[in-house]
Amino acid sequence: MAVDLRLDEPPVRETRTRSIIGYNGSLKDLTKQGCDGCLKNKNRCFTTGTYCSHLTAITSVLGLPDTLVVDHAPIGCCGVEMIFSGGYSLNQPGPGGEFRDNVRMFTTKFTESDTVFGAAEKLKDTVRGAFERHHPKEIYIATSCTSAIIGEDVGAVAAEMTEELGIPVTMLGAAGMRSRLWSTGFDAFFHSTGKARFKPPVKKEDTIIYAGFASIAQETVAPIFKKLGLDMVFLTAGSTIEDYERASQARVSFGQCDVDDSYILSYLEENYGVKYFHIHQPNGGIGFERFMRDLGAYLKKEDVVEEIIREEREKYAAKIDALKPMLAGKTALVALGSGYVFEMVRMLKELGMEAVHAVSYHYDPLTDASPDRNDRTPVADVRELGMDVSVSVSNAQQMEVYLAVKKYKPDIVITRAHGAGCWAAKVGVPCLDPGLGINIVGYRGLYLFADALASSFRNTAVFDAMKARYQSPFTEEYEALPPTRFYAKGGEESAKEGCHGRGDGSGMGCRYGR
Amino acid sequence: MVAETAAEWDVDMEDKQKYACPEQQRVGCGLAGIYTALSIGGVLPIMHSGPGCIHAISSVLSVANGGQNPVPYMESVVPSSNLSEAEVVFGASDKLRSVLEHSLRYYKAEIFLLVTGCSAEIIGEDVYEIAEQYTTPEKTVLHVPLPGFKGNNVWGHHQVLSALIDGYVEEYGEREVVPKRVNVWGVVPHYDPMWVGTLEKLEALLRRIGLEPNIIYSPWGGIDALKKIPTAEYNLLLSPWTDLDIVKKLERKFDTPYIHFPYMPIGPTAEAELIRKLTETFGLDEAFTESVIKERTDRYFYYFDRNLVWLFDMHNQRSLPREFFTNASASASLSITKYFVSDLGLSPRKIFLPEDVPKKHRKTVKKLFLETAGEYLTEEDIIFTDDGGLFEQYLKDVDQMVRKSAVIGSIWDDITAKKANMPFVSVCAPYGDVLVCDKQYFGTDGALTLMADLYNDAEKKGLVSAVV
Repeated sequence: MAVDLRLDEPPVRETRTRSIIGYNGSLKDLTKQGCDGCLKNKNRCFTTGTYCSHLTAITSVLGLPDTLVVDHAPIGCCGVEMIFSGGYSLNQPGPGGEFRDNVRMFTTKFTESDTVFGAAEKLKDTVRGAFERHHPKEIYIATSCTSAIIGEDVGAVAAEMTEELGIPVTMLGAAGMRSRLWSTGFDAFFHSTGKARFKPPVKKEDTIIYAGFASIAQETVAPIFKKLGLDMVFLTAGSTIEDYERASQARVSFGQCDVDDSYILSYLEENYGVKYFHIHQPNGGIGFERFMRDLGAYLKKEDVVEEIIREEREKYAAKIDALKPMLAGKTALVALGSGYVFEMVRMLKELGMEAVHAVSYHYDPLTDASPDRNDRTPVADVRELGMDVSVSVSNAQQMEVYLAVKKYKPDIVITRAHGAGCWAAKVGVPCLDPGLGINIVGYRGLYLFADALASSFRNTAVFDAMKARYQSPFTEEYEALPPTRFYAKGGEESAKEGCHGRGDGSGMGCRYGR
Repeated sequence: MVAETAAEWDVDMEDKQKYACPEQQRVGCGLAGIYTALSIGGVLPIMHSGPGCIHAISSVLSVANGGQNPVPYMESVVPSSNLSEAEVVFGASDKLRSVLEHSLRYYKAEIFLLVTGCSAEIIGEDVYEIAEQYTTPEKTVLHVPLPGFKGNNVWGHHQVLSALIDGYVEEYGEREVVPKRVNVWGVVPHYDPMWVGTLEKLEALLRRIGLEPNIIYSPWGGIDALKKIPTAEYNLLLSPWTDLDIVKKLERKFDTPYIHFPYMPIGPTAEAELIRKLTETFGLDEAFTESVIKERTDRYFYYFDRNLVWLFDMHNQRSLPREFFTNASASASLSITKYFVSDLGLSPRKIFLPEDVPKKHRKTVKKLFLETAGEYLTEEDIIFTDDGGLFEQYLKDVDQMVRKSAVIGSIWDDITAKKANMPFVSVCAPYGDVLVCDKQYFGTDGALTLMADLYNDAEKKGLVSAVV
């Protein structure tokens, strides 16, 4: 399915990439079923609160300079802005020594009568008021469950306000209930910003695009690409309008993970010939070498790439080797987003550790890239490295992860942002946020990861203390359950039945063991 | 020397408010009322709402509000039906029943609150029926509608308390009044970033003067404290308007009279007033309570005296803030105004209250501010709004002279104050993504911490200098 930015919002992942949030088995089985087009979602009979595309979409857009978001929603839906966009760590003085402004996020504050009569006029007034107050260069109007349920035509309001205000006013498809995958919000972010900001190329430039949440640590990879004659352009939550305008002129692209960026980078490849590298993510040593060789072959600069690989390997080899004895034989449970979880499993193996279980917060059998729509890094890892691990897929269902931690008894839980680490810590298992984006790229990334792991094992007093005090707030019945208990009987969704190719990219077998 | 005249400060607020478009959110939606439930041991909310609602509310009320999560049920294990498009179209009561049935078996709780968000309310599920059906003598299930389109988290807090009183306390509450027992109200858990530390200090003070405080929130309260609510001799309300409806409800239901002391006391003046008020109401031993006042006031001034060189000599008075703005909850604004006006000698310039105080309470709140600081404020200086960004806009039209006024607000105002180089203290949600731990500004002890926080920020911003 080609990416079409003329639509108001991206088609949801359930249909576009056949994504699932319920599965239990192994990586080999998961990737095989995914490639064969027969992976089914398992429904649950018990769920806890999770995350939604509204939050991922608006927090990404809010980082953009000279931008403003109007949330067409009840008060509350935009609450998440604080943690991602207004926190102290993000409010340090910028390069010019100036403090950043507060993020600009307005809400139409839906009332009960708005849910009955609609709130299009109020939305227009809010857009006008927000524009008058801050004079941004562009405005995004985020939709919500409420605006979607009452069928508000936000796209039409956006078009009308674009005309009236003379700046791009773009709908941001962010109704949380549309998709059960919060990553649909990443697509919505890139869909709307791409729609508002992309321009056709004037000339081709020797640049490489990096797409992701942030461009943090860019200074560590920019010199590497410079050796290949490439300058970096960033499509992240912080990119300027100019960055976007240059995107179509780039030669090649890659991103932090294909979950985040296959949507937009595939669009640039299809429409402007910007070659997208995604089958081998450049994380850790193995990932880096594979990615760089792919890139070198395309650019016909194999020799330069081999030199880069040698240099990077040598730069960190002694440092990594010094840490390895502290990690040898340790086990980990990894609970992360679909784009990162298996990267971490591979990187742990590189360091001599073993992942005993991986919780993937969803799984996409397909990406938006063509022609190899279902050739993803985990698939490549199984094919090329014979990698395998016990896997469950859950949208951050921590009552399951808690039971998995009990079952697999890892030495450490590697996770981020959705609560798994807190419960691991409570029962005495050290937890670690492994970082993401450029900070896990290459041998430098592998070294940082090894260092963080080693320091987690060095002094575990805080976890030991918590374990000694732990009293479960759950019943004995729950504590005795296996982690797969919550799948409803016969919960497989019938919509994705059939294990045959459907002529739309699924079931092509993706070279899996064939 | 203060450069600005009253007329110069008189920016046309009507103009700024021409477009009703709130930014800089300082509240959660109604669903955030679940934090009140999560603060009472033995009570578990079950969300019948979208999948991300828990995160939308947790940012303002939890992690970005002093880094505090609920205990023991952190957000990550709060049951939720995670409504998606299919359920909105085809109905979601089966899903809710399933989540409820499992919750009843898995969590060590006695009261389960089925809370409904916007989508569940719009599609109109009959959740009351489900609640009734699953209630047993051991486990109570209640329905609390909390859609964001009906109100913010303070409204949600009232809804949750109201439902617990009607659905549980009325049936299971003990009835025999115990002299000197007093229920404590007015603090909204998790919304007030320092709620735990404040209640801890208050509890100790009330015990010290001979009362038996009943606080329903953790780490003291729980189901037992809920049951004791009707047995109190008085309900003590320590806020300008939050929980006012609750104490009136309790008066109607259980004939318990209430004491409305309109602010959580900060500083020696307010603390002494509270102790005297309680001494009179409960008929406590006056000689003893006066000795407590003296002891605490003496301690305050001992520490204050230790700062005199810093305050009035090394750093001359010209450069310390002598005026202040608040852009904070009515509760925090009034408490701090009382301390600054009565003890520290700062005058309020304008009071912004961006928490959408209900219209019916605005007259009372205005009156309380005028009673507290009427010498410095007119009615027009007290601004009720739902727009947290209004203050930032207002400030753009105010000339900044050598002596900077202080800003009392949330992390949003920290950024505003940094850019304007004004001394700042965070006192309300969202407090910031830093740890609040057991910090509080209660009474005479807390006042010293507040003074230090304010003046230290001025110092760190380079504002306190004898050479300016």
